[in-house]
Amino acid sequence: MEEEIVDYALEYAQGKKVEYAEARALSQIQDRLILRNGVVEAYTSAIDSGFCVRIIANGGIGFASTNKWSKEEAKTIVDLAFKYAKATNRKDKLRFAEEKGVVKKWSVAQKKKIENVAPEDRISAFTEVDKALASCGVKVAATISQCSIDLITKYFVNSEGSRISSFVPKIGAYLFITVAEQGKTEQGYEQFGYSGGWEAFGVWKMEEKMVHNANVLRDVITKAKAVKPGNMDLICGSEVTGIAAHESCGHPMEADRILGREMSQAGRSFIYKGGEYWIGTRIGSDAVTVADDPTIENSYGYYLYDDEGIKARRRFLYKEGIINEFLHNRESAAKLGARSNGSSRSINYDREPIVRMANTFVVPGKSTEEELIEDVKEGVYMKSFTEWNIDDRRFNQRYVGKEAYLIKNGELQYPVARPVIETTTLKFWSAVDAVSKKVEYDAATCGKGDPGQGVPVYTGGPCMRLREVFVK
Amino acid sequence: MNDLLDRTEEIVKKAKRLGADEVIAKTTLGKYRQVRFSNNQVDITVAWNDYTTDLTLAWKKRLVATQIHDFHDVDASLKQLIGLAKVSQENPTFGGFAKGSFQYSKSQPDKKLEDLESPTELVFEAINAAEKEAGSEIDSGGILFTKFEDIYQVSSEGPVGFDSRSAVELSIRAFSEREASGHGVECSSTLKDFKPSRAGAKAGEIAKLAKKPKIGDEGAYNVVFDPLIFGSVLGVWAGMASAFNVMIQMSVFVDKLGKKVAPEVVTLKDNPAAYSMAQRVFDDEGVPTKENVFIDHGVLKTYLHNTSTAKLFKAKTTGNAGLVAPNPWNVEMKPGDMSKEELFKEANNGLYLTNTWYTRFQNYARGDFSTIPRDGIFLFEKGEIKQSLKDLRISDNVLTMLGNVTGISKERQHVHWWAEADPPSLSPYVLIKNVHMTKSK
Repeated sequence: MEEEIVDYALEYAQGKKVEYAEARALSQIQDRLILRNGVVEAYTSAIDSGFCVRIIANGGIGFASTNKWSKEEAKTIVDLAFKYAKATNRKDKLRFAEEKGVVKKWSVAQKKKIENVAPEDRISAFTEVDKALASCGVKVAATISQCSIDLITKYFVNSEGSRISSFVPKIGAYLFITVAEQGKTEQGYEQFGYSGGWEAFGVWKMEEKMVHNANVLRDVITKAKAVKPGNMDLICGSEVTGIAAHESCGHPMEADRILGREMSQAGRSFIYKGGEYWIGTRIGSDAVTVADDPTIENSYGYYLYDDEGIKARRRFLYKEGIINEFLHNRESAAKLGARSNGSSRSINYDREPIVRMANTFVVPGKSTEEELIEDVKEGVYMKSFTEWNIDDRRFNQRYVGKEAYLIKNGELQYPVARPVIETTTLKFWSAVDAVSKKVEYDAATCGKGDPGQGVPVYTGGPCMRLREVFVK
Repeated sequence: MNDLLDRTEEIVKKAKRLGADEVIAKTTLGKYRQVRFSNNQVDITVAWNDYTTDLTLAWKKRLVATQIHDFHDVDASLKQLIGLAKVSQENPTFGGFAKGSFQYSKSQPDKKLEDLESPTELVFEAINAAEKEAGSEIDSGGILFTKFEDIYQVSSEGPVGFDSRSAVELSIRAFSEREASGHGVECSSTLKDFKPSRAGAKAGEIAKLAKKPKIGDEGAYNVVFDPLIFGSVLGVWAGMASAFNVMIQMSVFVDKLGKKVAPEVVTLKDNPAAYSMAQRVFDDEGVPTKENVFIDHGVLKTYLHNTSTAKLFKAKTTGNAGLVAPNPWNVEMKPGDMSKEELFKEANNGLYLTNTWYTRFQNYARGDFSTIPRDGIFLFEKGEIKQSLKDLRISDNVLTMLGNVTGISKERQHVHWWAEADPPSLSPYVLIKNVHMTKSK
């Protein structure tokens, strides 16, 4: 990365009639590994590197990027971004919420440096999982495993004096298995993610988790019974709690979505000015507090400064059941008279930063998991999920259980096959009467933006108990 | 042009000299432009310029790849890649890259898309058309995207080619009320055939009809699918025809070759033709692309292949490489003999769905999935639209829906939208009977 070219781009932009300018460079060493049934299909290794400029001129925003590192190219993209910003010709002029410049260097330490792990050892981390699956006593018909390693160096400067450098190593893994028993199949996946070094694999326990998955899927085929549809209590395991926190709290609280900027792709929000829901409105029970926090160490969504140079902090989105604080970047904050809370993320030098979650989770309560179950007369414990989705207002959602059990008189009975909860955001969060005290996180890739920007995130939380919801 | 082809060829030769068995290099010189708009105004205009060489090589059946951005030190990248191959693992199913030299069709890009001077004018054509259809209170958002790529591809196994690919697409979603919207798209490989006002008018027309929606009822419906939502359906079906997805059980078409998977009326093919925004004259191995009928009058005729998957299935490559996984490029459904109006009459009572998003599977092999219709959802009776609906979800099965295709329109539209109606397709109006809808409780 040639920082002087990035500095030059900013300097050249500031020589024009701009209201704001920034230049951002990103260089990442990217390894990708794909295995099918424990055999390497392909191993790719590359260095992606480039820079962009974003300019506000005449109340419009222009953005241009390149992967050619030269001052001449820097001028070309500045000229393009400036031309496009001016041509925007908006009636209401865009501006960014006020911020002071920041000078900072930050990085994520690796206990075991990824660079020192030989490719063959990287491969064996995954082939060992397939060996464990092959000998676990379950008929696993197919596996597909993918590993992503990104060593990301960023450099950000803007016309307000910010100069921020960072280095973050990220590792991700995605494993998908098909179990075939008695002529039937069941499928499931696990995703893992970590900001840090190769010590991630010690944290993840992939073999143990995938063998557990295989057993769960076999039990769905061989032992599980359908649930009798009706109103009942539902215990959500941390994985289900986490996806609900992400989908029906994190997404609708993104201010750009609330303002309509994603209207034709990811959609809008059930929260909007003049509507039924806004800051201060109740959306759940007192037991529900949902936070988003980029600063959780080693989390997949970890960062200390966002891609607009704003310091990251914990945001309480729903607080004791009340809509509390939106996720903002500088553009949305200016429109709503707020300050950015450091939620602006971009996956690469050729994508604009937009409002994103980082690590979204339900804040723990005081109960134990056992106490939640003990108090259920009849219900379902949905520990994990398969199919899920939510509408583009983030109000009608559906989660289909993967590992799930019937609860009767406070005790787990037998596996339940694919129980479904299909309900509204209001009903879901209002039905929560207790949450447990142990938080667990799952890695995920959150999709938004056009062109798509899949960003690494955590979803998580404790177990939650929902009273009298419809399960089928 | 020749300079870049020479440079690409030189990279292949160097990799061979370093010991690679087979090498493919693809150099892309790309210009991409996008205008994003919402609330009837432009939010940002974006430009990407890219210059990269994708390099894939095989050494003793070990497949490794890299992307070169820094052309000052290509030798170091190549040495590192060969080193990686030597410590990687043999893949017994790797069947080599395509061999031979091929004649390709002439690329038909539109040079006007290389640097469009005033892209925002096209955006306002669409916004104005939506307003004309549904009134000035309409609130529109979307994107205009243009692509112009020059591709120089060289394989050590013979294929050498140049392709120039252009595309332009506009996607507009118009809101007439907070919960009433319509979505229109316009996609083309050339500016000449690109009419943004068509997308705007369609979005406006649906948004106007969608006013005052009521929550729909669960149940099984005869459903008329608009070309846009059916583009999403076609994307799923064609993706499942990829031999790789069959191999990893992410397809309902496992063990279905030669079997009837749909009624006689269903014929599907992959065809990255000149009109398509996914136009291309060769695949990633340098094999000429062509029309591939994969479902012929209801019978699954072939999977989509690269050279390796073709060898495994004792077939021939279909020109759909993907060096690991073959992909569909542009899906076409053979038109039927009905008009749109006749489909509604045939259905009699049912739902008209215009768009969807968030399609997720419980089990790809079994085909159980759900997806959430958005924008206009309409209840019709005796072929006439009676009520705008909301908050319904399709919860059904791929094979069941394929089996229940009853009617296909003569009219087709080239559609693509975000990651939801992808890859692009030539999609008709389609009637599928007995589609299961669920809702929140």
